[in-house]
Amino acid sequence: MPPKQGRELPAKESAVFKSILKLYEHKQYKRGLKQADQILKKFPEHGETQAMKGLFLSHLNRKEEGYEFVKKGLRNDLMSHTCWHVYGLMHRADKNYDEAIKCYLNALKFDRENIQIIRDLSLLQMQMRNFEGYNETRLTLLNLRPGVKMYWVGLAVSYHMLQKYDIALNVLSAFEESLKEEGEVVADYERSEMLMYKNLLIEESGDFQKALTHLDEIRGKVVDKRAWKEAKARHLLSLNKLAQAEVEYRQLLDQNADCHGYLEGLLKARGLAGELQGVELEKAQRLMNELGLKYPRSHVIKRTPLKFNKGDNFRRILDDYLQPMFRKGVPSLFVSVKDLHTDSEKAQTVEDVVMAYKENLKASAQFNAKTAGADAEKEPPTAYLWVLYFLAQHFDFKRNTAKALELIDDALAHTPTLVELLMTKARILKHGGDSESAMRIMNEAREIDLQDRFINSKCTKYMLGNGNVAEAEKTITLFTRSESTDPLADLVDMQCMWFALECASSHVRKGETGRALKRLHQIDQHFIDIYDDQFDFHSYSLRKMTLRAYIDLIRVEDRLRGHPFYYQAATTAVKLYLELYDKPNQAGGAGGADSVSEADRKKAERKARKAALKKGTEQQAVAAAETTGGPAPKVVDKDVDGTKFLDADYLDEAEKFVKNLLLMSGDRAESQILGAQVYTRKHKYLLALRSLKRAYAVLSSPSKNSANDSPQLAADLHSAAMEFWKSFNIAKEQKAAEKAAAKTPDAAGSGKPAARQQHPTQSPPIHPTVLAVLKEEIAALFKVDTPSLFNDAFVKTLSASTPERALAAAQNGAPVSVLDRHCSDLKNVSLETAVRIHAGLLAAPIADRARADKFRDTARAAFPTATYFKKE
Amino acid sequence: MINIRAATTDDLLSMQNCNLMNLPENYQMKYYIYHALSWPQLSYVAEDHKGRIVGYVLAKMEEESGDVPHGHITSLSVMRNWRRLGLAEKLMSQAQKAMAEAFQAQYVSLHVRKSNRAALQLYRDTLKFTVNDIEKSYYADGEDAYAMRKQLIGEDTSKPKLINGKDVSR
Repeated sequence: MPPKQGRELPAKESAVFKSILKLYEHKQYKRGLKQADQILKKFPEHGETQAMKGLFLSHLNRKEEGYEFVKKGLRNDLMSHTCWHVYGLMHRADKNYDEAIKCYLNALKFDRENIQIIRDLSLLQMQMRNFEGYNETRLTLLNLRPGVKMYWVGLAVSYHMLQKYDIALNVLSAFEESLKEEGEVVADYERSEMLMYKNLLIEESGDFQKALTHLDEIRGKVVDKRAWKEAKARHLLSLNKLAQAEVEYRQLLDQNADCHGYLEGLLKARGLAGELQGVELEKAQRLMNELGLKYPRSHVIKRTPLKFNKGDNFRRILDDYLQPMFRKGVPSLFVSVKDLHTDSEKAQTVEDVVMAYKENLKASAQFNAKTAGADAEKEPPTAYLWVLYFLAQHFDFKRNTAKALELIDDALAHTPTLVELLMTKARILKHGGDSESAMRIMNEAREIDLQDRFINSKCTKYMLGNGNVAEAEKTITLFTRSESTDPLADLVDMQCMWFALECASSHVRKGETGRALKRLHQIDQHFIDIYDDQFDFHSYSLRKMTLRAYIDLIRVEDRLRGHPFYYQAATTAVKLYLELYDKPNQAGGAGGADSVSEADRKKAERKARKAALKKGTEQQAVAAAETTGGPAPKVVDKDVDGTKFLDADYLDEAEKFVKNLLLMSGDRAESQILGAQVYTRKHKYLLALRSLKRAYAVLSSPSKNSANDSPQLAADLHSAAMEFWKSFNIAKEQKAAEKAAAKTPDAAGSGKPAARQQHPTQSPPIHPTVLAVLKEEIAALFKVDTPSLFNDAFVKTLSASTPERALAAAQNGAPVSVLDRHCSDLKNVSLETAVRIHAGLLAAPIADRARADKFRDTARAAFPTATYFKKE
Repeated sequence: MINIRAATTDDLLSMQNCNLMNLPENYQMKYYIYHALSWPQLSYVAEDHKGRIVGYVLAKMEEESGDVPHGHITSLSVMRNWRRLGLAEKLMSQAQKAMAEAFQAQYVSLHVRKSNRAALQLYRDTLKFTVNDIEKSYYADGEDAYAMRKQLIGEDTSKPKLINGKDVSR
C-alpha cells in the first residue's frame, strides 16, 4: 500500500469533511466554504479539503482562485479520487469535456466502483461521441448495478452507436426477461417506448422481415399507435408487400389526410411513384379523385395531381384547384403553385388561366366566360381582389416589376387597408431594387395591425434591408420583453437568429464590418449553446425511455451546423474576413470609415481589448449570480461596434468557419470556393486544390443541390482558381530564396515582434513531394500551361447568357470588351448581377469609368425602380 | 402544398424561428428539445413544398400528481401568409389525438392573453375550447391569461366556472 499522504483526518474533522460533501450536493456553497476553512486551519495541506474549497469558490464566482485550490489539493493528494473528481467537475463546468474525461479516468483509477463518477464519465463520452469509451463505461455500470433500468438501455444505446445491432438487441431482450422475472412494473408508456426503440434497432440493422415480425409481437404493448402503424407500413413497403402496405397507408391517411408521407407511401404501394404516364397516370388520377371525395379538406390530396398531370388535364385540375381558393381568399395560393414554375409550360398555363379569371371576373363576376349568364351565380367581389393579388406575385416572380406594381396597385385601389396587399407591394419594390419605398410600404402595413408580431418582424426586416438599423431595433423591441433592461438582449437570449442575420447583412452593406462580425459570432455562439444543450439529455432520455427521439437528437446535433442559419452566417463571416485580410488598411473603421490612421486603429484595438476583458468578467458575474440566485447585474455592452473582432487573425477566424462549412455543407459549391480562397491565402495549397476540385465536380453534376444552380458560382470558382494558381506559382518560385533565408533564422520576422502579421505574402517552403503532387494535379485540372492561358480558355466558354462569368474573365485579365455584349441588352440579366457588373466595372482591376457610366444608363432603363442606378 | 406531420428534432430550429416571427412568448432551444424528448408524439408541424415550417403546435403533458392526465398546448402558431387554410385546427387535431392515444389525456388545456382577441376567437369558436379560469398576472408583463380547456375523453367533470370569459358564479 502506498502511503496515504496524510489523507486520514481525526474523527472530528473527518465528520466535518463528510458534511462538506453533503453541503456541496445541496448547493450550500457558502457554508461549505466556511467548513472547509475550518479544517484547513488545522490541516492546511489536506488535499481533498483544498479541492472542495476550490469547488465551492468556483461556484461563488471566484473561479480562478477555485482552480488554484483544486490544483493545490491535487498536488497534495494525487491518489485521491475526490480530488480528481473535483478537477473533472471544474473542467466539465467550463465545457472542457476532453480534460474532464481525463480527470474522471484518473479518479476511477483510485476508486474503481464509484457509480457517480462512472455515470458522469459516460455522459462526457457521449457528448464527445467517444462511442468505444461510452460502451465500455456503460458495460461497467450495468455490471455494478444490474438492477437499474436505465443502465440496461444505456448499454443498448452504446452498442447501437457502434452499429453492433445484434448485441444491442440481445441486451434489450435480456432486460425484458429480467423485468419479467422480477415482476417489476414498468409504466406502459416507458415499455412502449423501449419496444419501439427495439423495433427501430431491428429496422436499422436492415432486417425488415424480422422488424415486421417483431412489430406484430409487440402490438398490444405499444401505446404509440401511430408510430407503430407508420413502422408497419414502412416495413411492408421495404419488403415489397405492396397490397398489405396499401392497407396500412390508407388507414394512416384516415388518421391524417394532410400528411404527404402517407400519400406518397400509398402511391408507392400502388406502384405509382415517379414520372407517371399513360395507364399509370390514369390510375393515379382515379386514386386521387377517390381520396379527394373521401377527404375534401386535405390540401395535399388536392394539390398532388397538379404535379403529375399535363396539358388539358392539368388545366382542368388547375381550375378546380384555384377557383375555391380565390373564392375563399387564401393568401398563400401563389406560393402553393410556385413550384410548378420549374415546368415552363405549366407556368404559362397558370398565367393564362388566372389572367382569364381577371378579365372574366371584371366583366361578369365569373371565373369562366362560357358559364357567364344572367342566371349564373356571381362570385364574391373579393375573388377579383385575390386574383389581382395572385397575379402581382406571379409577375413579381418573373421579375416584371412594372406589371406586378400595376396589378397590386389595382388591388390596393379596391381595398387599401389589406395588410397582405401592402406586404406584397413592399416585396415587389424590394425585388425591384427600391428598398426605401419597400420599407415605407411595409411600415404602412405594420401600422394597420399593430398587434401582430409577424408583420412587425417583416417590417423590421425591411428596415434593416434599407439600412435603418436604429429604427429596426426600435420596431422589433415593441414585441420583446419589456421588463429586461436591454430589450435587444432578449432577442439574443431567445436565440433569435433571423434578426441577427438581417442585422449582419445590413451592417455589411454599410461597411460596418465589426458590427456585422459581432452579430455573426453571436449566431456561432447560439450553435455552440444548442450543441451543448444535449448534455443533460444523455441521462434524461434514458430515464424517460424516449430513445428514438434521443437517437434522433444525437444525429441532429451532429449535423447541426448544416442548418441554413449557420450556413448564411458562416459564409458571410468568411467573406468579411477575406475582405479584411485582402485590404487590411480598411479594417479599422467600425463605423465604416474607409481609412483610419494607424494610431487610431491601435487605439481602437486597445479599447476593444479592454472592453473584451471587462465583458468577460461581467459574464462570469452573471453566470455566478444565476447559480447563487442573486440578482443579475446589468450588462452594458461596451463594444457595440464589435472592434474586438477586428483585432483578430483574420485567416484563422475564417478558417474556423470554413472548416464547418466544408464538413457540414461540403456539397455546396460556395463552401468549396470559400475553402479554396481561405486555404490559398494560408498557403495550404493541397487543401485549396482539394476544394477547387470538389467545387468543379459539384458544379458539373447539375441539380443535385439547387443551391448550386446560381450562375455566379461558376464565375466565383474561376476567380478562386486563378487566384490559387497565381499564388502557387509565386510560392513555387520563392522556394529557392526562402531556403537561403532559412539559414539565418533571425533575418525574417525580427522587425516587429509583437505586431500581428495579417498579410504574410510569402509561403513557407513547399515540400518537394507536395510540390510534385501539386504540379501534376494542377496540370490535370487546368489542362493548360499558365493561368493566363486558363483565362483565355475560360473566355472561349462565354456565351451571351453568362454575364457573371464574363465579368470574372475581365477581372482576371481578359480585355474588358468581353463584357460589352452583356451591357447592351439586360433583358435576361438579374438586378443583382447588373449591380455586380457595374461595381466590377468601377473597381480595380477593371476601373473603366466610361464603360461603367454607359452601363449604368442602360441599367437605369432596364431597372426603372432600382435606386442603385439612379445615383450619378 | 402543405404537409402536416409529426415534428422531429430536426424541425426544432425552424419551429423556434416560426415562434419568434409570430408570437411574443419565446423559448430557448433547450425547452423545445425538452418537449421533443419528453413527449415526442405530441408536437406537429405544417411545412410547405420546400420543407419550410410555416406553422407548428408545441405540446406537452401536465404531469403533476393528483390530477387526471391532461395535455397542454405550450405554443401554437401559423405564419400570417398561411392563414385561412385551417392549419391551426389540423395541427391541434393531430396533437390532441396523440395526447389521448399515447398518454390517455382526459382533456387539453392552454393559456391565452386576455387582450389577444384573435387567438381567443380561434380557440373558442374554431377549436371548441372553453374558458375554465382566469389566471391573474400569468404573463411576465403582468397581463392576465384565460386558462382554456377542451375535453378529450369522457365527460367533462370540471364544470367551467367561466363562460366566454365572464365569471358566472358571481
